[in-house]
Formats: sequence, C-alpha cells, structure tokens
Amino acid sequence: MALEPVIIKGTRDGITIIIERYADFERVKNSIVEKLENGRDFFAGGTARVKVKNGSLSDEEYLELEQLLEDYGVSLKKQLHPKTYIFPDQSRIPILLLKRTIRSGQKISYKGTVVILGDANPGSEIVAYGDILVMGVLRGMAHAGADGDVSAIVAAFRLQPTQLRIADVISRPPEEIQEIPRFPEIARLKDKTIIIEPYYQFSFNCIKRKQEGIK
Amino acid sequence: MSQVLVITSGKGGVGKTTTTANIGTGLALYKQRKVVMVDADIGLRNLDVVMGLENRIVYDLVDVTHGLCRLKQALIKDKRFENLYLLPAAQTKDKTAVTPEQMEKLCDELRKDFDYVLIDCPAGIEQGFKNAIAGADKAIIVTTPEVSAVRDADRIVGLLEASGFEEPKLLINRIRPDMVKRGDMMSIEDMIDILAIELLGVVPEDEKIVVSTNRGEPAVADETSRAGQAYRNITRRIEGEEVPLMTLQEVEPTFMDKLRMLFGIKTRTAKGEGAKWTF
Repeated sequence: MALEPVIIKGTRDGITIIIERYADFERVKNSIVEKLENGRDFFAGGTARVKVKNGSLSDEEYLELEQLLEDYGVSLKKQLHPKTYIFPDQSRIPILLLKRTIRSGQKISYKGTVVILGDANPGSEIVAYGDILVMGVLRGMAHAGADGDVSAIVAAFRLQPTQLRIADVISRPPEEIQEIPRFPEIARLKDKTIIIEPYYQFSFNCIKRKQEGIK
Repeated sequence: MSQVLVITSGKGGVGKTTTTANIGTGLALYKQRKVVMVDADIGLRNLDVVMGLENRIVYDLVDVTHGLCRLKQALIKDKRFENLYLLPAAQTKDKTAVTPEQMEKLCDELRKDFDYVLIDCPAGIEQGFKNAIAGADKAIIVTTPEVSAVRDADRIVGLLEASGFEEPKLLINRIRPDMVKRGDMMSIEDMIDILAIELLGVVPEDEKIVVSTNRGEPAVADETSRAGQAYRNITRRIEGEEVPLMTLQEVEPTFMDKLRMLFGIKTRTAKGEGAKWTF
C-alpha cells in the first residue's frame, strides 16, 4: 500500500503525529526520523501529540517514540489514553450486506462475511468464507467458513436450516419434529461437530471469555 | 434386466413427482426391487421434498455430470425404505446445465446397479424434457381429467413417438368418480379415446396425497389410502402382473351397513379400499 505510515500535522499547540498501524514499528520510526530530519530546526523545541490509527502502541513502543522525539528536541505531550484511537480495521473483513429475501434456487457465494437483512428460504444456498448472519429466518442451506475456517459461525434470528455446514462439517436437523425455539440462535463448531446454542448464551460466553482474557 | 422409465406429462401440476415417488417406493417396498429416482427438474427440484430427503443433499445430478463428485456420493439412500435411492436435481442451476448425452451416460451408469431407474421429468417440452427422455427405455405419461392436461399429454405422446419410444403408458391421476358419474369430468374412456395408448392405471383424487406429500411420506406405503392402493396396483402392473383396473364407483352403503354404522360396528366397507374399491 502506498499509504504513508506516518503523517505529521501542525496544530496550534504543536504538532500531531498520526501513525498508521498497518506498518511495523520499525517503518514507523524510520518514517518519523525521515520527516524530522527534513525540518530539524522547525520542529526543535516543540511539543507533539500522537494519534494511532488501526491499532495501538505498546508501552515500550511509546517510550521508544518519546526517546526518539527527544533526540530532535521535541517533547511528547503526556496523554491519558494514547491507545484509545482504535479505528475498526474494515479493509480486512469484507462484508456483503443483502437487504432482501434469498429465495429457492438463489445462491449467495462470498469470500467474506454475509449479512442478510431478510429471510433465507428453503432451497436457497448461502456460501461464505467467513460468518453468516441472517437477521430473519434461515430456512435454507448455509455454509460458513467454506474455505476451511473452523471458527466461522452461522447466526440467525430464527435458525431453522435444511442443512448447516461449517468448514468441512455437514449437519442436518433431527428428523423428528421438535419445538421451534423462539429466540435467536448461533451455530458453531465444537470438537468437529456443529453445535447450536441460544445467541444470548453465546454472547454471554464471549463477554466472559474476554473478561477472563483481560485478567 | 433393468429398466429406465421416464415419468412425463407436458403440463405441470398433474402429479409427475408424486407418481415418481409412489412408484419408486412401491417397487422398493413391495417388490424388493433396487430403485433409483432421478430428479431431472433442475432448478425447480421437488422430488427430494416429497420424499422428505431435502436436508440430506450434498451433491446433485449436475455435480455428477460435471465430474465434481462420484455418482455414489450424490445418491441419497431413503431413510425408511431399503433399496430406494434418490439422485437429486440441482436447485441453483437450470436445465441447460446438463445435455441429453450426459443424461444418457448417467442412465447407463445407473442401469448397472439398479433394477429400475425412474426419471422425474420437468413440465414442458424444452431442454429439460429432452434431457429427461434421453436415457429412458419406456415412458409413463401422467394426465388429469382436464382438457388442457390431455391436450399436452397428446403432444407428449407425439414427441415420444418421434424420438422412438414404443408404447408409452398412460396414468390418469386425480380422477373423481362422483364427478365423472355426474358427467362433470372427463371419463377414462374419453381420455383413452383421444390418446389411444395403453392404460397403466387410474389414481383417484385423495386428500391423503396432500398430507403425505407435505410430510414427505409417499402414500403408497399407507395401507388406508385409496390413492396408495391405486399406486400399489400400478407397481404390480409395471412388474408385469395382470391386475384388473379399479372400478371407480363408490359402493353405496346398504341398509345393513348403515345399521351397523349406527351401532358403531366396523363393517368391511368402513375402512374402504378392499370392498369399496375393486382393482
């Protein structure tokens, strides 16, 4: 990508260094040095703020940056939350949003996540490399993680598929007619079998896992 | 010796798929024949739904003809009946996905492993029809007692004869004896007069067909279904047995029957078929 890893902007109370976290930190540093060398006298004695796009700086990196700027006579303004500028990394998860009903005989194939604002009827097929989210009734066939992603999920407001596939695992609903749950559900792979659980349980578990991870 | 039968009609909605499902089940269940039903209606597949096998489909007919899977992988074994298999159609493609030559090759392949290959033909006389009849030895023409259905059946007979089919057989579906009696519906004789082909069987209108179709359970296995009985007889005729045609008049209950019914005693006719319907 031709995108500059670092952009320096002048503001009323000093300069702002905007760092794109696509690049590794070495490139970021090189770019800063390059820019500061060009205007050594101009920058000396000034103050700087740091903004980080698409990611964050670790504490070590932040210290390193502070050191580097000091060499050029630029003092880094202490910021309370230097890591809060996290922009969603949209370019890496392609999402297909469809606002319609997917009918019998229609096939949606997409190398990413598929979101459907509508129903997917019996006889329809949704094949996605990523996740599949149906904000309606899923009655057709859904294949998430079609290129082998075992962490892919299929979620639907009402999950009543004729067949579910995640990565290379295929399952179908039990033959005997059972009561249809009246709540959103989510299907995922667990030990090479597809399991279906209520969505609230899934999201609860997600939050729990996250919290435990932070601790 | 194995046979490839195509079930066709020209007109839609006369019961080709129901007939395929019932004859297939009948041959497998009552005659212990090894049967495969092929859904040739690519893009509008139904046979899998009628058989209740929709959720087992992984590969289909188009995958087989295009070499994306082996034939054995696409065949679905029926969940209730031994010896019965289904080759489903693709739903997301159309009729042009397959050529008559590919169908012929497929039928010859299936012929090796099965006693009967039943092909469920799509409505119409275009590519889908040409595909369906390509590999078949014999044809069963389904019609209903309607002028339009008989007209289309006649067209089909002509096309089949032109493609070298000898003696297609006629199956009259959804006949209502009471209406025929009143003169409100074409009779069997009227239809045979026009089509001039051999009659394979007559299936009466039966509400149970609707129920069984929706449940994915062919009526032929239902001993209490009148249409099921008709299909059982058709099965036997396909096997070469001489089974007299059913007389369609409902037997009026006699005074004694009415008396028995009044007292809640089950009579021979209470369950229907055997006594009321002679086949």
